[in-house]
Amino acid sequence: MFEPLDPLLHSELRLAVISILISVEEADFVYLREKTGATAGNLSVQINKLNEAGYIKVERGFIGKRTRTVCKISSKGIDAFEKYVEALKSYLDPRDRTD
Amino acid sequence: MEERQLNEKDSLELIARMIQNTRQKMEKSHGVPFLVWGYTTIVISLLVWYFLSATGDYRVNYLWFLIPLIGAPLMFFFIQKHEKGVRTYIDRVIGYIWLVLGIAALVISVAAMFFWNFPILFVVILLMGSGTAITGLIVHFRPIIVAGFGGILLSLACLLVHGTNSILIFAGLFLLMMVVPGHILYAKGRR
Repeated sequence: MFEPLDPLLHSELRLAVISILISVEEADFVYLREKTGATAGNLSVQINKLNEAGYIKVERGFIGKRTRTVCKISSKGIDAFEKYVEALKSYLDPRDRTD
Repeated sequence: MEERQLNEKDSLELIARMIQNTRQKMEKSHGVPFLVWGYTTIVISLLVWYFLSATGDYRVNYLWFLIPLIGAPLMFFFIQKHEKGVRTYIDRVIGYIWLVLGIAALVISVAAMFFWNFPILFVVILLMGSGTAITGLIVHFRPIIVAGFGGILLSLACLLVHGTNSILIFAGLFLLMMVVPGHILYAKGRR
């Protein structure tokens, strides 16, 4: 049987953000926008959704006079990402399917 | 990139592409710590050498403590200026290595100044050369690796040359071990 895919991660921009955060210690909003090519508004909405689900931690601070939003993946986010990848494998590798 | 539903193949491709995107390229900010600490140490070393040669007053050695007092604020300034928006695990590891080596160098300098007479210049070059070599090995950058191991080997020169002139050897080694590879790294990152 196919394993269900986490709907929170199964969307292009949220998956892109989580994939970036899984491979770095932390990244700020500008970096995420640059790497995903998303608009600021959309990125902000998706970051909030991931934050509310506890998949990432968001810290807002300052560098000089500029505000800086820094995102880090949480242990819950790492678990969710790993489960998502495992579930994807069941779709792509027929040997993992039991039906 | 907008929010849209993906099929399974799209998802895997997206994950792979984003992880590939975060692979760190050499950035000019990586050369900055080498340049800041290298130049600060050289300038202070030459000051100490000059005043020690001119006056012979041992209290001139207190000037060595200007290195952390000048270097630390400069580092803070340049780190903010070259903020790159992302911090990797490698950045953290390298940061911790230099924090530990910096504290060790400071403690051993205080010991040499106030409690125990031993070849401090040799020990500091050995510590900084080790940090440079480890950093080079972690970031896979040959000029830094060569500079680090070169510094470790050449630290012996500080034992062979005695008196005030050993400070000139010390400054020369910082030039070879930190400033030269720092400029190479900075130039490579700018391209």
